[in-house]
Amino acid sequence: MQRRGNPARLVIALSVAAVLAIFLLYTSIAGGTPSLQPSQLPGHHGTVSLGGKVVGPVTGNAHDTPLRFRLRDRSGTASVPVTYHGTVPDLFRAGREVEVDGRLVNGTFVAKPNTLLTKCPSKYGAK
Amino acid sequence: MAELGRAALIVSLGLALYAALAGFWAARNRRRRLADSAGNALLAALGATAVASAVLLSALVRHDFSFTYVASHTSTQLPLGYSISAFWGGQEGSLLLWLLVLTAYGAAAVLLNRRSAPDLVAWTVPVLGAIAAFFAFLLVAVASPFATQTAPAQGAGLNPSLQNPYMLAHPPLLYLGYVGLTVPFAFGMGALLARRTDERWLVATRRWTLFAWTALGVGQLLGAHWAYVEVGWGGYYAWDPVENAALMPWLAATAFLHSVMIQEKRGMLKVWNMLLVILAFGLSLFGTFLTRSGVVNSIHSFTQSSIGPWFLGFICVVVAASLALVFWRLPLLRSKTRLESLVSREATFLYNNLLLVAFCLTILWGVAFPILSELVKGESSTVGRPYYDFFLRTFGLPLLLLMGIGPLVAWRRASLRSLGRTFLWPAGVAVAVGVLLVALGAGSSSPGLIAYTFSAFVLGSIVLEFVRGTRAAGSITQLVSRNRRRYGGYVVHAAIVLLAIGIAGSSAYGSSSSRKLHPGQSMRVGSYSLVYRSLSHVRGPNDLEVRATMDVYHGRKLLGRVYPGKNSYFAEQQVSSEMAIRTDWLRAEDLDVITDQIDPNGTIYFKALVKPLVNFIWLAGVVFFFGSVITLWPDAREERRLASRYALPAEA
Repeated sequence: MQRRGNPARLVIALSVAAVLAIFLLYTSIAGGTPSLQPSQLPGHHGTVSLGGKVVGPVTGNAHDTPLRFRLRDRSGTASVPVTYHGTVPDLFRAGREVEVDGRLVNGTFVAKPNTLLTKCPSKYGAK
Repeated sequence: MAELGRAALIVSLGLALYAALAGFWAARNRRRRLADSAGNALLAALGATAVASAVLLSALVRHDFSFTYVASHTSTQLPLGYSISAFWGGQEGSLLLWLLVLTAYGAAAVLLNRRSAPDLVAWTVPVLGAIAAFFAFLLVAVASPFATQTAPAQGAGLNPSLQNPYMLAHPPLLYLGYVGLTVPFAFGMGALLARRTDERWLVATRRWTLFAWTALGVGQLLGAHWAYVEVGWGGYYAWDPVENAALMPWLAATAFLHSVMIQEKRGMLKVWNMLLVILAFGLSLFGTFLTRSGVVNSIHSFTQSSIGPWFLGFICVVVAASLALVFWRLPLLRSKTRLESLVSREATFLYNNLLLVAFCLTILWGVAFPILSELVKGESSTVGRPYYDFFLRTFGLPLLLLMGIGPLVAWRRASLRSLGRTFLWPAGVAVAVGVLLVALGAGSSSPGLIAYTFSAFVLGSIVLEFVRGTRAAGSITQLVSRNRRRYGGYVVHAAIVLLAIGIAGSSAYGSSSSRKLHPGQSMRVGSYSLVYRSLSHVRGPNDLEVRATMDVYHGRKLLGRVYPGKNSYFAEQQVSSEMAIRTDWLRAEDLDVITDQIDPNGTIYFKALVKPLVNFIWLAGVVFFFGSVITLWPDAREERRLASRYALPAEA
């Protein structure tokens, strides 16, 4: 088999290069959102995705008045107050694990509207 | 009874180990009778696994709570269908289903090919045996479905959100797909071990791959429909790791199904095909690992369990061993022919493969990103919807275009002038559709406009192919029955176009609005206006159903009523939103209304969405299934032709 000048190799090499280029382009514009737990929050000023267990009391209705609750580490005691507006998932309640995007402002985690997600209570298993 | 189940699994493990070890010995030393016996052990392993499954099934149906598994996944109130679905509702049961499907596929593949390709099957049996042994080992030693306890009076029941007819079809179909990819993998490895690197293994496994791929595709669309109808957020796919876990092997299998045609026709891409089949199988294992290990955060939270590390180890061994095998047999995998031109059928298949694999790997990157960033930066980061949407457009739109170009380009080498003639009609149709759409105001979204123009082009070229073929063959039934794979494939292409139209329409041209309404007030969404009339409370068998009545107007014309609301389940103390869907066939769009929050005084925060063309996605599922059945339909003439082409020399 002739090794030089094989168009297949050329195409593969070019495509790999193109994909890498697009990839670098993309990651330079966007990049990922850090996903943290409340104890890791201090020192982060940008938008993060915060995950943890909901601690009551839960007040407000997320529409006229902000929904307020505390979020605690999944296995830990550090917690942070959260305010939220927007759709509240059906499964949201104290004790559930949730994830929400937002940023820390003066010690309170201000969530972006409509980013609250609850994890199904162990979908395929007994609790 | 539990003892019988445990014993059956131990027997199954023993038989699988025998199939692996004796099969290996027999194939290495060319012991024909021992090889037959190893194959028979695989058949017997199916029998033993079936006994174990029957034990579990009967325990589920009888609500025998002395089985820990039964007690934690069913309750006496659970209807029969959902009690059966608990078979795959939990981890141990899913593993048992995996082993059952695996041994069934393995046994059938061995029975069907042992006569016509004994040398290949001799090496395939040990591979299948080794994989089955891994699962049987997990079931015997790590996660037994037959653990027993003192029977409690009542079981834990099944999560209400899973008590849904989709639960009966969606998970088993995904399993049929995941596990089905084992067959081409095992035959591929068997071919390498046996040094039979011709196309025989592809012929033997083609329908298996197609079947697994169809099950995976239909299963995913059912899951998307389930999410759309039940979860009530108006979406159908969220790029969640668990959803991606099913999409990745499907994309890899799609690439494989295309590239094998190049190897069959032109003897090229042999190494590539091996790599693809390893990728597809590896991703199906990875998917199981992902859903079962809890390493990645997902809104589908499955039980975290002890099988994660085992799976990770198994994936590493499988990938390392199979790559080593490919490397070792590299001299046998040299292709005899080479790509003659960058404008040819082969080349378009190659581009299609590169795009599919690139898309698949970027999804994999996104799924693994939290783990990787944790390792590199010491802090876990996730990539969201924009990341996936970006790559869906970047790779998906060129793929769509290729689907129209590929079928019309000649093999080997195509002249640009003849291409111009061929593409005159489809390109004309596409341009006309594009202009028409811009005139209708679809230019608001350029990805949407591009998707529709490309879709028109693909449909145009498919119609052209059918017209040309029918003219030559006399009638359309003649045409399709003579070349099922080709024309069934075109039907599948048409389904993918429908899917693209549905996705583009519902995501690029949708509109939404949310408002707080008192009874009597109204809101607008898209071209509709909705008037909130009243609120009602109805007591159901196990829940309280709150429903708002809303009149739907288009202009001044009353179109009908919708009843969105919420159900509160007493026993589970859980609320579930019941989204109202109004499908308008004439406008080809759905109006979805959700009650975000219902205040005690009757004030409701409504969210309304207009999803144009979303029903094309479900229609695509039906067409996809239909096209797949055409390609899968047995074709005796073709089988004979292929069997004789790859028959062994006289000594066999």
